[in-house]
Amino acid sequence: MMNLEDLEKQVIRMEDIQEIENLQRRYGYYFDTRNFQAIVDMFSDSADSADLESFGLFRGKEGIRRLYLDDIGRGGRPRYPSESWISTVIFQIGGVVNLDPSGVAARGRWQTWLAETFLYGGVPRQYWVHGYYENEYVKERGKWFFKKLFWNVTFFTMFETGWLTQPLVGLLPMANPDGPPTAFYPYPSGYQFPYHYNHPITGE
Amino acid sequence: MNVVHQGDHPPKGELPVNIIELEKQVILMEDIQEIENLQKRYGYYFEIGNYQGVVDLFSEDAESVEIESCGLFLGKAGVKKMYVDTIGSNKYESWVRFCIQMMGGVVYVDPIGKTAKGRWQTWLCEAMPVGGVPRQQWLHGYYENEFVKEHGKWLFKKLHWNVTFYTSFEAGWVRIPLLGLLTMKMADAPPTAFHPYPSGYHVPYHYKHPITGE
Repeated sequence: MMNLEDLEKQVIRMEDIQEIENLQRRYGYYFDTRNFQAIVDMFSDSADSADLESFGLFRGKEGIRRLYLDDIGRGGRPRYPSESWISTVIFQIGGVVNLDPSGVAARGRWQTWLAETFLYGGVPRQYWVHGYYENEYVKERGKWFFKKLFWNVTFFTMFETGWLTQPLVGLLPMANPDGPPTAFYPYPSGYQFPYHYNHPITGE
Repeated sequence: MNVVHQGDHPPKGELPVNIIELEKQVILMEDIQEIENLQKRYGYYFEIGNYQGVVDLFSEDAESVEIESCGLFLGKAGVKKMYVDTIGSNKYESWVRFCIQMMGGVVYVDPIGKTAKGRWQTWLCEAMPVGGVPRQQWLHGYYENEFVKEHGKWLFKKLHWNVTFYTSFEAGWVRIPLLGLLTMKMADAPPTAFHPYPSGYHVPYHYKHPITGE
């Protein structure tokens, strides 16, 4: 029979997975409502990096501020005169979270489906976007934070055309990254985004 | 309403001091799992038109139900009126479909373990007659729901589904944000928050920021 101490550890591990799932889903909800300061606050002060789509690699908490607040959030300035029709809906689906035995580090994979709307060639356009996350988390002072966020886009296409006809509407390089994207291989490259985990049965 | 947030639970990562604390934490996790199941089952009952199954998921003391532009229905009587007498009164052919995907649950249970709140978002693929023609539709929306535990079981206390868009498969939300209103004559009051795309309306979160507490 398991002793009380081991049982406590197992309960905490389950709570940790739940907390990380919540963190990831809230990230999506904050992105939907363009609350980029709330997103930055979910990153550890010793965060590694954020790397999304073709934006480029942003290093450290400082880089993360630059990416979300200055670039994506445009320093709080509206993107266009009338902004309410610009929208992002991000579904965070299929979380697989693995905790390090230390209990203070974790990794998670998700996939995403997005329904987006923004200006393209002067007209409002609607898009379908698919991608995968492989993220890292760290527990500090009893709370989980993002340590590293990596979103790998599969396709980014127009509502009307689809991924076969138009896998990528365009590149989205940001003004001030610290480096180029580390793995940007959209459809139909056949690129398979590596899993952070081993096979649950074979261990391979 | 007893609004309680994550911050009221013991800090994560500190070992609970005794078996009683440990039991509370296990029950909290079971509660979250039960609420997730309740919400997902709601969707599965709705899809197959089992509206009595839906009504039976609500507490006898349910506060209200409100979806889309249908209007506000009060109390358990209102819940029956909306699902069974109104939505359920339509007799659809087999090609009429509702596929509701429940995603992104964020659930918080108050420390006493008797009430809870949850946010989800939904993606729907629908097929129904519009203007006499079979049409296929995409819908998006957010839930902010309230739950209550009675006799050891979780029930809906308040259900609110806030639609973002309700568009045709072909047109999309930029061209047709809303195919039409679904106003129900039997409602007790007009919708409390019906602001579809492109209003820019943000459905308020029931929870505070996990780090800043704001």
